[in-house]
Amino acid sequence: MKPAVSLQKVVKDYPLGKVTVRALHGVSLDIQPGEFTAIAGPSGSGKTTILNMIGCMDVPSSGSVALDGTETSQLSDAQLTRLRLDRIGFIFQSFNLINVLDVRQNVEFPLLLQGKHSARERAERVSRMVERVGLAKHAKQRPNELSGGQRQRVAIARALVTNPAIVLADEPTANLDSHTGHEIIELMREMNEKDHTTFIFSTHDPRVMECAHRVVKVADGVLA
Amino acid sequence: MVLASIALRNLVQARRRTLLLSTAIGLVTTLLVLLLSISAGISDNLVQSATTLSSGHVVVAGFYKPSPTLGAPLVTDASKVRAIVEAKTPGLERVVARGRGWGKIVGPGGSVQASLSGVTLSDEPGFADTLQLAPRSAYLEGGGPEVVGDARRIGEPDALILFASHARRLEVDVGDLVTIVTEQTDGRSNTLDVTVVAIARDMGMLSSWSAIIDEPSLKKLYSLKGDTTGALWVYLDDIAESERTMTSLRTTLAQEGYALMDYQPVPFWMKFEVVGGEDWTGQKLDLTTWADEVSFLMYTVVAFDIVTVFISSILLIIIAIGISNTMFNTVRERTREIGTMRAIGLRRRQVLWLFMLEAIFLGLFATTCGAGLGAVLALALDAAAIPVPIEAMQAFLLSDTIPFSVRPLALSGSVAFLTTCTALAALWPSYRAALLRPIVALGYTA
Repeated sequence: MKPAVSLQKVVKDYPLGKVTVRALHGVSLDIQPGEFTAIAGPSGSGKTTILNMIGCMDVPSSGSVALDGTETSQLSDAQLTRLRLDRIGFIFQSFNLINVLDVRQNVEFPLLLQGKHSARERAERVSRMVERVGLAKHAKQRPNELSGGQRQRVAIARALVTNPAIVLADEPTANLDSHTGHEIIELMREMNEKDHTTFIFSTHDPRVMECAHRVVKVADGVLA
Repeated sequence: MVLASIALRNLVQARRRTLLLSTAIGLVTTLLVLLLSISAGISDNLVQSATTLSSGHVVVAGFYKPSPTLGAPLVTDASKVRAIVEAKTPGLERVVARGRGWGKIVGPGGSVQASLSGVTLSDEPGFADTLQLAPRSAYLEGGGPEVVGDARRIGEPDALILFASHARRLEVDVGDLVTIVTEQTDGRSNTLDVTVVAIARDMGMLSSWSAIIDEPSLKKLYSLKGDTTGALWVYLDDIAESERTMTSLRTTLAQEGYALMDYQPVPFWMKFEVVGGEDWTGQKLDLTTWADEVSFLMYTVVAFDIVTVFISSILLIIIAIGISNTMFNTVRERTREIGTMRAIGLRRRQVLWLFMLEAIFLGLFATTCGAGLGAVLALALDAAAIPVPIEAMQAFLLSDTIPFSVRPLALSGSVAFLTTCTALAALWPSYRAALLRPIVALGYTA
């Protein structure tokens, strides 16, 4: 079976004025389909850079990144955008919802961008997802009318509504209290178990790491 | 659709900014509509005064030369020419014969030189309706708002209609006698006492040297035969057909054996020198359109249009800078949102459209409101008949009040033009937003 994600000797350099900072030093990592993986490490260790490479939002300076066997470094911006839309779901630390849209509309947004579902199909999918994350009663509310935990639930629904192969979550509990953070991780794990979607999330919280099937530790741009 | 929805919601969300920008764009639209209304008003006045005082939509005139050096603006055997015109003009409304003359009008207060237009009331029963009579206050010191006189009395013998500026200068009222002095082609002078039967409101530059006399009196002054007239004024159902009709009538009259002068798009009084220098004798016909007869006045419309373009351009540049700056701020404020949407799967082109749609919606809303306000203001100001106190300005505006004419095409054109400008002003910031890489946009801190 092909790995869902395969990083081979990935190096990432960032120019910083006249000097170049190396964020990743030849990282190699395979993640199998259906895994619930935590990428753990202190701030600045390279967790977010790895997630950006996997999420096709950045390209490596050298090495290769493959999703389901598809090499991503040679794809155009338009192809990468389509790949993100169809294959990847994103959950952000700061929720990153669209403030002018309500809960349902935020969840429906990626489906509208895909443009391949009828209005009825979209409505059914959105209702199902909003129900699953426990926000049916808040479906017409705007993000600024929700608590942090509720907003992250909306983000999870939005990430999963397209049935992506991989969900990437960058420190999804960092802006939540420990109780709500735990609930969010539990919700993600429940989705992972029911749908067999590959979840990869970054964290530096040991309690969150305990929930993961696999913990990949990163320090100073290399896997520990 | 989702982009349009987000764009609209963003405009509503940023209510204060939207309102301020809309007000600015709307006011520019209002001003543009008002200026265009004045320009259209001048243009309408030009057509109105030209087709009342100088010409029909097409003019069949000519020169008669008894000798190579003498010439007069006459059409001999006018009824024969008229019959051909009436038979061969498609879309014809009516043909009227107008005498042409030039003379000195002498009154108690002095004298004025004026072009004399000879009217046969039986030929033009609706003529009186085309003139607006002036209140006595317009020409008499201490005069009131009452209107005296009757333009229909131009059908009486030895009758004259003056315009207010001439009446003021001659110090005459309705019912007074004035003397007209004309010079014949052989150099002799004729005089005739005529009664002022009505005093009309000024119609700008054209009326400042015009007077209307009954046709038999004009013929008496020039000792003309019965079937001779100055010109045949041809009125069409559609004034836009003037040029085409004039061309077709030239061909028809040439085929009927009439000698024609070369086409020159200028009024007849600018042709005396050319005609005098040619060595032909007898009758030659000359065909022109109403626009040719007032070509020397077109500058007023052009001049006002230049002023309109100049003022609008300056305001437009200021507004465009404002819109562009606001859009840059909007892009900056929403950089993380752009990053999120790009990460989820929004394409660069869609980002561009998202911001362009905001500008287009803003432009459409603001310009529609502005154009509506402009139209209402223009109609209200026209109804208010704001007087123009300066005579030179009256000549320029071709009216003694500020003329406003609202044209639907000007309204829709203003909305389309300014909305396009708003969209163009937003193009660069929108393009910059579209170029943002998701990873950079997501990491942006406002």
